[in-house]
Amino acid sequence: MAAATSFARPSTRPDEIHNLLTGVERYNPQKISVLEDYLAHQCANPDPNTNHDLMANLALLKMYQFNPPMMDLDVIRRILAKALISTSQGDFNLCLYLLSDDICKDMSIAKLLVLRDYLEKAQFDGFWSEMYGNDDDDEESVVDGIAGFDNGLRKLILAEITSTYQTIQAKLIGKMVNLDEEAVLRLAKEHGWDVDAAGVVSLPLKSENEAKTTVIKESIKFDQLTKILCAANDI
Amino acid sequence: MYQENYEDEFVGNIDVVADTYANVNEIEDGEMEDEELLMQQAQAGVQAIPEQVRRFLGHLYRNLKNSTVNDLAYNYENQFVRLSDKYYAKAPWPEPQFVAALVGDDGLFLTLYRELYYRHIYSRLHPSLETRFRSFENYCDLFNYILNSDGPIELELPNQWLWDIVDEFIYQFQSYCSHRSRVAKRSPEEIELLKENSQVWNTYSVLNVLYSLIQKSNINQQLLVSREGGDVIEAAGEFGTRPLYKMLGYFSIIGLVRVHCMLGDYTLALQTLENIDLGNSRGLFTRVTACHVTIYYYVGFAYMMMGRYADAMQAFVHILTFVTRTKHYHQRSLQYDTVNKKAEQMYALLAISVSLSPSRVDDLIQTQVREKYGDQLHKLQRSGGGDEAISVLTELYRYACPKFIMPNPPNYDELEAAVEAMEPQDYQLKCFLREACLQLVVPTLRSFLKLYNTMGLEQLSTFLDIDAAELRNQLMVYKQRCRQVRCTSGTDLLNGEVTPTTDLDFALQDNLIIIAESRVGRRYADWFIRNANKMQDLINNLENRQKAAIAGAGKPNGEEAAATTTAAA
Repeated sequence: MAAATSFARPSTRPDEIHNLLTGVERYNPQKISVLEDYLAHQCANPDPNTNHDLMANLALLKMYQFNPPMMDLDVIRRILAKALISTSQGDFNLCLYLLSDDICKDMSIAKLLVLRDYLEKAQFDGFWSEMYGNDDDDEESVVDGIAGFDNGLRKLILAEITSTYQTIQAKLIGKMVNLDEEAVLRLAKEHGWDVDAAGVVSLPLKSENEAKTTVIKESIKFDQLTKILCAANDI
Repeated sequence: MYQENYEDEFVGNIDVVADTYANVNEIEDGEMEDEELLMQQAQAGVQAIPEQVRRFLGHLYRNLKNSTVNDLAYNYENQFVRLSDKYYAKAPWPEPQFVAALVGDDGLFLTLYRELYYRHIYSRLHPSLETRFRSFENYCDLFNYILNSDGPIELELPNQWLWDIVDEFIYQFQSYCSHRSRVAKRSPEEIELLKENSQVWNTYSVLNVLYSLIQKSNINQQLLVSREGGDVIEAAGEFGTRPLYKMLGYFSIIGLVRVHCMLGDYTLALQTLENIDLGNSRGLFTRVTACHVTIYYYVGFAYMMMGRYADAMQAFVHILTFVTRTKHYHQRSLQYDTVNKKAEQMYALLAISVSLSPSRVDDLIQTQVREKYGDQLHKLQRSGGGDEAISVLTELYRYACPKFIMPNPPNYDELEAAVEAMEPQDYQLKCFLREACLQLVVPTLRSFLKLYNTMGLEQLSTFLDIDAAELRNQLMVYKQRCRQVRCTSGTDLLNGEVTPTTDLDFALQDNLIIIAESRVGRRYADWFIRNANKMQDLINNLENRQKAAIAGAGKPNGEEAAATTTAAA
């Protein structure tokens, strides 16, 4: 799994960006281009573990919030598309809070919002058909220029499947990640999952999909004992 | 302070205050032949000030000059409030220039007095546009004086006063932003004025003040050093060692958190607090109750907006417990209304969080939430994500959320578009509801899953009246939504670990749902600790009595009796 939250500094963030984010320079509109270039970097990197820097992108959105004339809708589109495939679920909304209703009316951004709704409601087949269903229109895809979008997304969906199911039919997985059955079997082999003759995949047990009854034991903090220890010291 | 209860519904109703202020100024600018008239007016103005108020101003001035902070605190927290109620409940305090005559034209005193004067207008009357401009100018004067002197200035003020200055500065900024965005309610003259004065209450200048106060006081370095060890005095530097700079810097950090929240930047809000340890029960933020409550309100709210309901609940429960426990203590203080209003809002936010992410909350607070919002909680549980749930959430949210602002003035040349633009208030709500609606799956599914150990997918789908494929999706959503990032230390509010936040977990074996509930075991240790402490107290008490009895043995009877009673007390 990738980092649990998007707030820590990613290993790929250069010092220049880090200094910009932690100082008052983050309000300097002349630095917009620096952050835009950095975003382009993130978009070109297909590795889902290192290609997303939420904090930098939020800083860029804030610059736009303060300087509307400098706003670039295509940059916003890419920031949102990146947040869509981020491993921590709140990222998309955090970006959204910095925008405005007017921006959300833009065609591509409105479409990303629809896509996000499918994704968050786990209606994956709906998501894929919204993404790729309309073959006839020549419009550019809303995720253009994001390297490794499909794979990042599949990884995300697979993570959800493996934490919900213990056993699941291969064709159901196929539907959810938009792959044919053969590809799913290849995927299963890759991850070392068992597939029986009926096409049912057994997923390895981990804490998320174990469903074990537990008893929460109390934990005593040191603070609670201070009084007793003080008294013991007096004797 | 949070005098947000009045809205700007009045139009063109230029109030008396600014009128007289402007007129007086005209006279001042007038020719010298009016000097006599001017003198007369000034004298009349001074004489119009009630004797009691005049005495108060004299005390205030002297205490300020002598830096007797305790007396100042009394002047400020008690007398000022009392006199405001008595003489100026519906009128402004005396004109600053009449007061000038009483204090020998002392510039610093008058700047501080003007701050109080305008604050009073904001809280009791409707400030006109001109008042807003002048108040901003006065803040600029004050902060320039504090920040741009060669060495630290000689001034000491009570913490409460300093907090109120920073807090009011941000409140007036927010109020101005809402005022200018409501273009439909502004007269053409007002719009002309707003257009000409775009530098007034400019977002950059407000942020600049806060960041400068933080920087000048080295407060972040001070906090870092005091936590990790090192020479605090060295870290504080020339300015930061003075209480005035230190506290202003500290309160500015919290002010900044508020401004970030008002702009919808919740991550930056929490990041700003990286050097303040919320886990420290003796932190500087506890010195002023309003500050203590404010910090938790914004932290909790930011968490809630981020979908980290467990963290939000923890923040709210912590501060609400504090407020409940100390209620009798601050009942008479001037912060009481502020604190109370924030607390009420936090109960509403807590009700939202508890409904969206069901979990155990401290019993005392839970009862309070039920008492206040039982009806709403019930509706949220019952409706299972329908329209009713949305309207309840909206109602609670609108009551309890902070005010949001646009960082820039609207485009005054395209008024129609500006009128139609969605208010930031509504936009934030819309984003939040989008998220909250998804979260509503959790309480609904939970209430069914709780009843079984295993159950078929088909069976549950008939109960819920949805098809099996959709149920599969919803179960996956439940899984996702029951895992939240939770912060693990008092200082790093942003980062944390992903932890399950519900007591009810499940897994799918193809079409079979296997349900597992976690239970809380009995808390033996807690019981023993409490009783051991009680026992210790008892023993101490008895020993003290014995000592008193022995000490009193040689004395006459009357005194002995007295000694035992005091020991018993």
